Amino acid sequence: MILINYLKSTILSKFVMAVTGIILVLFIIGHCIGNMQLFIGRESFNSYAYFLQERIGELLWIMRIGLILSLIFHVVTSIRLKFLNLGAKPKKYEVKNYVKAKLTSRTMIWTGIMIFAFVTYHILQFTTGTIYPGDYNRTDYYTTNAMSVKKLGSDECCTKSREATAKDAIINYRGNQYETAGNHPIISERHDAYGMVIHGFRRPIVAILYIIGMILLGFHLNHAIQSAFQTLGYNNPKYFNKIVVGSTVLSTLIVLCFISLPITIIFGLVGGGV
Amino acid sequence: MKLTLYIWRQKNAADKGHMEKYQLNDVMEDMSFLEMLDVLNEDLILKGKEPVAFDHDCREGICGACSLTINGVPHGPEKATTTCQLHMRKFKDGDSIYIEPFRAKAFPVIKDLVVDRSAFDRIMQAGGFIGVSTGNAPDAHSVPVSKKNADLAMDAAACIGCGACVAACPNAAAMLFVAAKVSQFALLPQGQPERKKRVLSMVSQMQKEGFGACTNFYECEAVCPKQVSVRFIAKMNRDYLCSRVTEAVEV
Repeated sequence: MILINYLKSTILSKFVMAVTGIILVLFIIGHCIGNMQLFIGRESFNSYAYFLQERIGELLWIMRIGLILSLIFHVVTSIRLKFLNLGAKPKKYEVKNYVKAKLTSRTMIWTGIMIFAFVTYHILQFTTGTIYPGDYNRTDYYTTNAMSVKKLGSDECCTKSREATAKDAIINYRGNQYETAGNHPIISERHDAYGMVIHGFRRPIVAILYIIGMILLGFHLNHAIQSAFQTLGYNNPKYFNKIVVGSTVLSTLIVLCFISLPITIIFGLVGGGV
Repeated sequence: MKLTLYIWRQKNAADKGHMEKYQLNDVMEDMSFLEMLDVLNEDLILKGKEPVAFDHDCREGICGACSLTINGVPHGPEKATTTCQLHMRKFKDGDSIYIEPFRAKAFPVIKDLVVDRSAFDRIMQAGGFIGVSTGNAPDAHSVPVSKKNADLAMDAAACIGCGACVAACPNAAAMLFVAAKVSQFALLPQGQPERKKRVLSMVSQMQKEGFGACTNFYECEAVCPKQVSVRFIAKMNRDYLCSRVTEAVEV
């Protein structure tokens, strides 16, 4: 019960909003930097995905649990505060003019709800592979010269599960059928996250939803980042203006980085050979 | 100048209330906003109608009694000005002006444009006393106060408790008011002995009164006739967290 006791205090609730928000923003920045490796290429992106999934799997789950808890606290607290705030102003003005409150600050709950819906969809697509399993279940094969190769014969391994594909690869390796032109036998395989992203974003609906989701995120963060500083008490006339500007710059950068992926992919600038 | 006024009329706290239209034909631009309402009321009284009830006292912009949300902005369009110091020269001939009471659950309407702001008084009472000796005024230099802190404390103490911050806030939060009242003592040596208890008590009372939570719209700062800065809210948040962690007293 001590965990929800903080909800009784509006200021403590705001602290929880700010702290969980900062955790989520740090994750978003990390996710954004990770995504940028897609521009380096398949090798880099897939080894990054492999590193996260296989090398630091346990740590990844600790991070995931932390993020999920942060998200739960962020959402629950915001909903509770929204109802409290609606109750505090039961009668609205017939005419209302805002002097300083921006559209971004006044729509936090709505952008928040839409971002939540987007994140759910995003996880179902790229983390669990529930939506478009064909895009998700791709395997990247490696030969003794450690370069990613295409499976000879049919490129489509997508309908099979990862286990079945692995078995295939081993049997076929014995049968000497999976070889590159340089006669390097296949020695390993890993999840083709690169192919998954490229194929995913080639669907216009996925790309459009992603871009919309990221612009909403930008709206949300534009108010949120500087707001967290204010809530936590870091407002000093010397640097608060810079924090407000920095909040806009950072949120814009995050949006541009994220939407650069679907835009370059859909125009064929990245991942053309996949 | 000619004006069309839309004014909130409400007989009493139980009445539902409605907007009513009035036409004023001879408004002088040198009148204050309240004088314009006085003219309207004289006209209404002559016609045997109920005059519009509104709060006012000093009419010098220092008491915090006047309120009114004018065209959706508490204290009207002019920056850092109370309604009583707003002059009709800020409006144009033929303008329509919407006049509503300050809206908040914690500020129930008593009649027409008059709201009950005694929630603010109860927050001040919850803040309690400061532990200084009474009697003769002490020597001015007996308690050193830095110039910077004295100025900041004065900036906070400029709050006249009018409630415009609550009226402007979409959440009806009273954070700017409470932050100003907490900070004016927290910045001075005389306020230190009860500093932690004070912030906890006043915030606790603020919540009991049914004010909303701060969403950092900064709308309060924009309409404050005394230009109290939202920096004081950040300062109160710091004080509050520190006091919650360190103060043993249950509030």
